[in-house]
Amino acid sequence: MSAAAWPLLATVHLRGPHVDFGGLSPLIALLGGAVIVLMVGLIGSRWVRANVVPSLTLVALAAALGLTIWQWNSDKSIVSGALRVDDLALVLNLILIAGGACAVLLAWRSQAAHEAAHGEFHALLLASISGMSLLGSAQNMVALFVGLELLSIPLYVLCATEMSREHSLESGLKYLIIGSVGSATLLYGLAMIYGATGSTDFSAIAHALSSGGLATDPLTLTGIALCVAGLCFKSSVAPFHQWTPDVYEGAPTPVTALMAVTTKVAALGVFLRFFDVALIEAQGSWGPAVAVLATITIIVGNVGALGQSSLKRMLAYSSVAQAGYMLAGVVVATRLGVQATIFYLAIYLFMNMAAFAVIVARERETELADSIRSLAGLGRERPLLAWPMTISMLGLAGIPATAGFVGKFYLIDASVSGGYTWLGVVIVIGSMISLGYYLPVIATMWMTGAAEPAITSAEPPPETGGLPALAGGSPELDADWNPGATDDTGANGDGAVPAGARSQPEVVFVALLAGAATIFFGIVPQPLFDLVEHAGRGLGGLL
Amino acid sequence: MSATTWGWLVLLFPLLGTLVTAFGFRRLPGRSAGWIGTAAILLAFVAAVGALIALQGHTPAHRELVSSLWDYAVTVGIDARVSILVDPLSVFMILTVTGVSTLIHLYSISYMDRDRGFARYFAYLNFFVFSMLLLVLASNFMLLIVGWAFVGAASYLLISFWYRRTTATRAGIKAFVINVIGDVGLVLGTYFIFKHTHTLEFLGTFKATRAGAFGFGTNEGDLVAGCVLLLVGAFAKSAQIPLHTWLPDAMEGPTPVSSLIHAATMVTAGVYLIARMHPLFERAPAAQDVGAVAGAATLLIAGTIGLAQSDIKRVIAYSTMSQIGYMIMGVSVGAYAAGLFHLMTHAFFKALLFMAAGSIIGAMAGEQSLDRMGGFRRALPFTFGCFLVGGLALSGVPPFSGFFSKDEVLLVTGELGGWHWALYVIGYIGAFLTAIYTFRMIFRAFLGAPVPEARELEGGHPHHAEVPTNPATGEAEDTDVGFPGPTHAIAERALPMRIAMGLLAVGAVGAGLVQIPKLDFVIDDFLRPTFADASHYEPHTRNGILVIGLTLGTLLGLAGIALAYRVWVARPGTAKRLREQVPVGRALYTLFVNKWYFDELNDALIVRPVAAAGRFARDKVEQLFVQDALIGGTTGLVRAGSAAVRAAQNGFVRYYAALLVLGVAGVGFYFLLQT
Amino acid sequence: MPPLSILIWLPVACGLLGAALGAFGQTDASSGTDVQPPRLRTPGVLALIGSLGALGLAIGYIADYKAGGPSLQHVTDTIWISSLGIHYKVAVTGLNVFLVGLTTLLFAVATLSAALRKWDRPALFFFQFMLAESAVLGAFLAQDLALFVAFFDLMLIPFYFLTGGWGRDPGRVRATIKLVIYTLVGSLLMLAAAIATGVLAAQDGGGHITFALSALQANQLPRGSQEWIFLFFAAAFLVKMPAFPLHGWMPDAYRAMPTEVLMVFSGVLSKVGAYGFLAIVLPLYPRGAVHYQTLMLLIALISIIYGSLQAFSQTDARLIAGYSSVAQLGFITLGIFALNSQGAQGALLQMVNHGLVVAPILFIIALLAQRSGGSEDIRAMGGIAFRAPVLATLFLIVSLATLAMPGSSNFVGEFLILLGTFKAKLAIAIIAFSGVVLASVYALRLFIRSMHNRVGPRVSSSDIGILDGAVLVPVVAVIVFFALYPQLALHRSEGSVKRAVAQVSAGSGQRLLAARGPVVACPPAAAQREEGLTCNSSARRTAPVAEVSGTLGAAK
Repeated sequence: MSAAAWPLLATVHLRGPHVDFGGLSPLIALLGGAVIVLMVGLIGSRWVRANVVPSLTLVALAAALGLTIWQWNSDKSIVSGALRVDDLALVLNLILIAGGACAVLLAWRSQAAHEAAHGEFHALLLASISGMSLLGSAQNMVALFVGLELLSIPLYVLCATEMSREHSLESGLKYLIIGSVGSATLLYGLAMIYGATGSTDFSAIAHALSSGGLATDPLTLTGIALCVAGLCFKSSVAPFHQWTPDVYEGAPTPVTALMAVTTKVAALGVFLRFFDVALIEAQGSWGPAVAVLATITIIVGNVGALGQSSLKRMLAYSSVAQAGYMLAGVVVATRLGVQATIFYLAIYLFMNMAAFAVIVARERETELADSIRSLAGLGRERPLLAWPMTISMLGLAGIPATAGFVGKFYLIDASVSGGYTWLGVVIVIGSMISLGYYLPVIATMWMTGAAEPAITSAEPPPETGGLPALAGGSPELDADWNPGATDDTGANGDGAVPAGARSQPEVVFVALLAGAATIFFGIVPQPLFDLVEHAGRGLGGLL
Repeated sequence: MSATTWGWLVLLFPLLGTLVTAFGFRRLPGRSAGWIGTAAILLAFVAAVGALIALQGHTPAHRELVSSLWDYAVTVGIDARVSILVDPLSVFMILTVTGVSTLIHLYSISYMDRDRGFARYFAYLNFFVFSMLLLVLASNFMLLIVGWAFVGAASYLLISFWYRRTTATRAGIKAFVINVIGDVGLVLGTYFIFKHTHTLEFLGTFKATRAGAFGFGTNEGDLVAGCVLLLVGAFAKSAQIPLHTWLPDAMEGPTPVSSLIHAATMVTAGVYLIARMHPLFERAPAAQDVGAVAGAATLLIAGTIGLAQSDIKRVIAYSTMSQIGYMIMGVSVGAYAAGLFHLMTHAFFKALLFMAAGSIIGAMAGEQSLDRMGGFRRALPFTFGCFLVGGLALSGVPPFSGFFSKDEVLLVTGELGGWHWALYVIGYIGAFLTAIYTFRMIFRAFLGAPVPEARELEGGHPHHAEVPTNPATGEAEDTDVGFPGPTHAIAERALPMRIAMGLLAVGAVGAGLVQIPKLDFVIDDFLRPTFADASHYEPHTRNGILVIGLTLGTLLGLAGIALAYRVWVARPGTAKRLREQVPVGRALYTLFVNKWYFDELNDALIVRPVAAAGRFARDKVEQLFVQDALIGGTTGLVRAGSAAVRAAQNGFVRYYAALLVLGVAGVGFYFLLQT
Repeated sequence: MPPLSILIWLPVACGLLGAALGAFGQTDASSGTDVQPPRLRTPGVLALIGSLGALGLAIGYIADYKAGGPSLQHVTDTIWISSLGIHYKVAVTGLNVFLVGLTTLLFAVATLSAALRKWDRPALFFFQFMLAESAVLGAFLAQDLALFVAFFDLMLIPFYFLTGGWGRDPGRVRATIKLVIYTLVGSLLMLAAAIATGVLAAQDGGGHITFALSALQANQLPRGSQEWIFLFFAAAFLVKMPAFPLHGWMPDAYRAMPTEVLMVFSGVLSKVGAYGFLAIVLPLYPRGAVHYQTLMLLIALISIIYGSLQAFSQTDARLIAGYSSVAQLGFITLGIFALNSQGAQGALLQMVNHGLVVAPILFIIALLAQRSGGSEDIRAMGGIAFRAPVLATLFLIVSLATLAMPGSSNFVGEFLILLGTFKAKLAIAIIAFSGVVLASVYALRLFIRSMHNRVGPRVSSSDIGILDGAVLVPVVAVIVFFALYPQLALHRSEGSVKRAVAQVSAGSGQRLLAARGPVVACPPAAAQREEGLTCNSSARRTAPVAEVSGTLGAAK
C-alpha cells in the first residue's frame, strides 16, 4: 500500500517519476539481449549466426540470472506499483531463465532455428521469456495483460518457425487463433473486474472486495469467471486445453519444450498472484470452481495421454494433467498451497526438460520423428539418453526417490491441510492412470531391441484426408503393442545408429543435467524447499 | 536312571535309526540298514522295559512323571514344551509298540531283501515307530498332535513306498488327506478344551477339569464338542466309520507295513487317545456314547465287508477295522483296561496274520487274490501253522489270546446294562462274523486243491510271474522302484521271518493268560494308577453274565469256523449259489463287496464337488470375474475415456472454439449461481 | 552393532559399485543364454558380497535383539525433509527383526543362484536386484509413515525392470506393466491416506506435522477419518499380498519372472503387505480395523478357499505355488484381523515361515523344469524322485512344511492364527480349517505329480548339483531349525505383537473418542500456519478457514 503511494506523492512535488532500474534490470537484460541477438542475426556469416547468436542468447539469460540473484530478498513495487519484485517473482524468474537456457541449448542445431534465421528465433525466444517474467511479477491488471501478450505473440511465431513443415505452420496458426480468443476472454474479465472494483491494482482490488459485499456481486463474479477461463487457456486447463496437443506436436521440439515448461510457470505464477492475492476474498466462490476444473483437467489429461504413439503429444497431455495437479495448490489458497505449486513448477522444469532433450536427440538420430518407437532399445545403445528419460518418466509418475514424489507429496499435503482432501485423492487417481503411459515408454527403452527402420514405413502417417494435418492427433498406439515383441532382434542389436548421433553434446548435457537434478531433489529436496519458502513468504506478505 | 530318562531314550533310538539309515543310504554296505533299523527298535524296546522297571519303583500314586527338554511355543497364553509323560498307560503303549515293531523290522529284513529302496524302507519304518512313540509319550496336546501327524506322514510314505505305482500314490494321498481331516478334528477339539483350561499340558488339563473348568456337572457344551472333535481325530487314525476308507487302500504298501500300521502303531492311536483323555470323556457321556456307537457300527459293518472281499490282505484289513471297533467301543464305555488289553493281544495276532499273508503273497509272486490261491497247506506248513494260530486268536477261540480280551470288553459293556445291551449283542454277532471270514480266508488259501504256484513250490522252486502287472490297474509294474512280489519272501525260506512269526505266534497264544477273569488281573493292576479316577474301571464280575459271555464267545467262534468249513471246504460252491440264486444273498453280497458304497459316497459328496469347484474357479471365476470384469472393466473404462478425448480432439479449430465457448459459458454460469 | 543404515544401504551400494565396475569389465552383454558353465562376474560377486554382508548384519541384529527391551531398538532418527516433517527414522522391532532376517536370507540365496547364471547386461541386473533388497529392508525397518510409503512404492520399480528386462516371453512386458500398475494403484491410495494421516493428526492435535509412527499412534485420528484411511491402506496391502479378488496381476507376473526374482518377490514382498497391516494399520487405525474386522476376515477366508481351489486345479507348477501363496497369505490376514495377540503372533510367525517355504519351492520348480525338458507343467513331470533322492527329500520337507504339517513351524503359526480366529469368530475359524485340508491336497499333488508316479515323457532325472544344493540347503536348514525351535522367534516378537494389538484388542478405544471434540471445532493447521507467519491477515483468512473446516468435515 505505502509502496504504491510513493510515486503518487512524487508527482505532487513535480519530480520525474522515480525509476528503480535495479528492480527492472532482469527484464532490461532480457529485452536488451533480444535486440542485440536480432542485430547479430543480421550478420551474413552462417557460422556466426549458427553459433554466436545462441551464445549471445545464453549470455543474455546468464545476465538476467545474475541480476535476478542480485535482486534477491528485495521486496518492492516498481513502475508505480505495476510490478512487484519479490521473492516469488525472482524464483519464477530463475525457473523461467533456466527453462529458456535449456530451450536455447536444445535449439542449437535445430531445423527451426536455422529456418528462422537464428537471429529472429532467439530474439523471439528472449522476448517471450521477458513477457513471462513480466507476468510473474505483475501487480496490476494492465501489467498482467501486457505480460500475457508479450509472452504469447512471440510463441505464436516460434511455433511456426519450421516453415518447411506444414505441421509447424498449422500449429502456429491454431495457437494464434485460440490463444487470441483466450486473451480476449481474459481481457473482458479484467475489464469487468475493473468495472466492479474501480481499480486495476491487485491489492486495491483485494481491498475493494473485502470492504462491501462486492465478493458476490454479479459483475465481479462474471469478471472472475472470464479471468478463470482466460488463464485456463494459457495454462491449458481442461476444457480449455484442446490447442495444447496439436500445438505441442506441431511445434518444433525445442519450442515445445519452452512452452511446456515456461508458459506453465508464467500462467500459474499469475494464477497465484491474481487469485490468491487480488481475488482472495472471493476464494469461497472461485475455489470450488477451480477445484472442479483441476479435477476435470487431471482426468482428461491423463486419459488423453494413454496410448499416444507420439511422445510430444503424450507429453502435451501429461502437461495438461500436471497443470491440474498444480492448480490444487492454487485452489486451497494457503501459503502451503502456494509453496507446493512453486515447488512443483521447479521440478516440473527438470522432469520435462530431460524428456524433451531426449526426444530432440532421437528426432535427429532416427527417422522416426517423435514416435515412441524411436526409443526402442535405447537402454542398450544409448544409456546416457535412456537414463534421463527413465528418470523423467518416473518423476512425472511420482515415484519415490525422484523429485516428482516429493512434489506430489507436497501438493497432496497442501490440499489435505487446505480442506480439499478429495482433491488429493483425485491427484493420486490421476497418477495411477498416468502410469499407463509413462511405464510403456520405459518398457520401450529397456525391454525392447533397437528400432528397425521397417517400423517407420509400417507406421501409418496421420490421416490428412479432409482433416487438418494434426487431426485427432497421432494414430493410437494399438492397446496391446508389446514392446517385448522385438526383443529377439534387440538382444543382439547395437542397432544402426545414424551418423552424427553422438554429435550433439549440448542436448545430452541438458538431458543428463535435468535427470540428475530430478534425482537429486528427490533425495535431498530441502534446498529447493528453502527457496520455495522464500517465495511463499514473498506472497505471504501480500496476503 | 529315572523313568523319564528311559522315556527319552525310547524316543532317541528310533530317531537315530532314521537319521543313520537316511543319511547313510549310499554308504551303508549290503543289508546293514535293515539290521541298524531293527537294532534301533530293539534298543527302544529295552529302554521301554527300563522305563517299566523304573516306573514300578514308584508308589502307585506317583507314577505320572513329566520331563521337559525345551520350550517349543510358550507365548501369548499357550504353553507347549517338548515334554513327555511317563505313566502306566504310556509305558504299556511303548512296550506294545516297540515289542511288536521289533519283530516286524526283523521280518522286513528278509521280506524286503531284494528291494531297491531297502535303506529308504527302513528309514521310513524307524520314523514311523518314532512318530508313534512320540504320540504315546507326548505330555501335551501340541506334541500329541505332532506325533499324530507324523504317524500320518510316515504312513503316507510307506503306503506309497513303491511310488511309481499310481495305485500306491493314490492310496497314499488318500490316507494322508483323511488323516489331516483327523488332525483338524484334533486341533479344533484342543481349542475347545484349551478355551476353558488355558493349558495344553495333559495333567494340567485334567487338573483344571477336576477343578471345574467345565463346571461340575456332565455334558458341558464345549466339553462335549471338544471330545466329539477328538473322536473325529481318533476315527480318522483308527479307521472308524465314516473315516475308514483309507485303510483298505493302504494295503498298497509292502505287507510288513500293513502289519505295522494295523497291529501295533497307527490304528491303535485312536484307542490310546480316548483312554488318555478319559478324565474329559468321563464328564461328557454324550461323547462317550458317540464313540461306543461308532465303534459298534464299525465292528459290524467291517465284519460284513470282510465276508465278501477276495483280496487276502483286504480281508485282514477289514478284520482290523472291526477289531479296532471293539477297542473303541470298549474304551468309550469305560472299559479302559479291557480295551487296551485287546489292543495288545490284537497287536500280536494281527501282526502274525499279516506276516503269514505276506509269506503266501511271496509264494504267489505278488498275487493277492484268494480266488487264485488254494492248497498251500503242504507247500507252506509253517505259514499255515502261524495263520491258524492267528486265526483262532482272532476268532476268539479259547485259550487263544483274543478270546480273553474280546470277551472282557463285551463283559464290561454288558454290565453297563440299559441300551448298552444292544452293543453287547452286536459285539457277539461281530465275533461270529469274525470267525466266519477268518476261516473262509484260511480254508480258501490253504485247503482244497493246490494251485500251480503251490505245486511248483512243493517242487522246491518258487513261481515267477513273466510280466509283472499291477492287478488293480493292469499296468506293467515299474522295475526301477519295485512292486510287491518279485522277491519271494517266504517264511519257510527265511530264518528272520520264521523267528518273528514264531515269537508272535507264542504271543498270540499266550498273551491272553495275563488277565483271566477271577484268576489274575495284571493289566488292570498295572494300569490302575492312570485310571484311578475312572468311574467303573474294572468289571464287578457278576458270575452269571461272566459265564454266559465266555460260553457264548466260545460257541460263536466254533460255530463260525464250522460254518466256514461247511461252506468253503465240505461243499465248495455254496457261497456262489448263495450269492447267485438267493435274492437276499445277492443283494447283501453286492452291498458287502462294494464296501457299503462308502467310497462312492465320499466321491459324490466331497471329492467331485470340490474338484468341480476348483475347475470352476480356474476356468470361470478367474477369467470372467478377476481378469475380465475387474481388470478389463477398469482398463476398458479408462480406454473409453481416452477414446472420447481423442474424438473431441478432431483438429478443427471451429470445434475447439465451440467447446471453448461452452466452457466459458459453463464457468460463467457457475459463478452467476454464486450471486 | 553398526547403525541400521549400513544394513539398509549396503546392498544397493554394492550393486552400484558392481554396475560401475561391470560397465567397464563387461564384454559380452548381448547373448542372454545361461548354458555356459557358471562363471562369476564382477557385478555378481559384488552383489553376493553385499547380500551376504546384509545377511550377516541381520543375524547380528536377531542375536542382539533384547526380548524384554524397548519397543524400538538400534534407532536411527534424523530429519529428512523438515518442511514436510518427514524423518529418516529406522529401528528394529520385534515385528520386523525376523522379517529382515528372512529378507536378507532369501536375497542372499537368490543372489547366489543368480550369480552362477549368465545374464544379459549383468551389471544392470544385479544393480536392480540389490536396489530391490535395499528398498525392501527400508520398508521393513522404517518407523516413519512417509518413509515407509516411499520405500513401499520404490520397492516395485526394480521388480518392474527385472521382470520386464529379464523375464520370459511371451508377454513379460504386459505382465510387468500390469503388475506395477496394479500394485501402485494400491500404494498411491496409501500415499494419499498416509499424508492425510499426518496432516489431520497435526490439525487435531494442533501440533507440528509429523509422520513418526510412535507420535501418530499416540495421537489417534477421529473414527471417521480412521475408517476411510483404513480402506486406502487395506487396498494397498491386499493388492500386494495378494488377496482375492485383487490378485489379478499374480498369474502373469509369476509366469513371467525369472526364478531368482520370483523367489524374493513371492518370498518377501507379499510379506510387506501383511507386515504393514500389523505394524501400521492396527496401531494407527485401531477403530478402522475394528470397524472393518468382519469384512477383512471374510476377504481372508475367501482368499484361503479360492487360493486352495485354484492351487489344486492348476497344472502350471508356478501358478500352484502362486495360488498357494494367496491361500497362505489369507491365513496371515485371518490371524491379523482376529485382533488378538494369538492371531497376530501366529500371523507374524507365519509370514516368516511362508517366505521360507515358498522361495525354495519356486527354486525347486526351476530344478524340476530342468529335469523335465524345460516344462514347468506338472503334466510333463513325474517319477523324478528315483534318480534324485536328495532333491526329493528336500522337496518333501518343504512340501510338508508348506501344508503346515504339525511339527513344522508353519503349524505353530497356523495353530496360533486359528486359535486367535477361534476366539474372535468361531464360525470363520471352522470354515478356515477346510483350507488346512485343501493345503495338504495341493501340496502333495505337486510333490507326487512331479516326483512320483510314472516317468514323464521328456523327463531325464538327475540329483541336485552341489551349487544348487548350496542355494537350497541353507533355506531348508532354517526351516528345520524353526520346526524344532519356533520359540526363538515367538519369544522375541511377543512383546511387540502385544503392543501392536493392544489398541484393537482393547476394543474400539473409547478413551480416544473422549479425548477429541468434533473435527470442525478445531482450527485447521493451514490457517494456523498463516496466522503463525502473517500478522495482518487474520480477518481476511476467516473465509477460507470456514471453507476449509467445512470441506474437511465433508471429507469425512
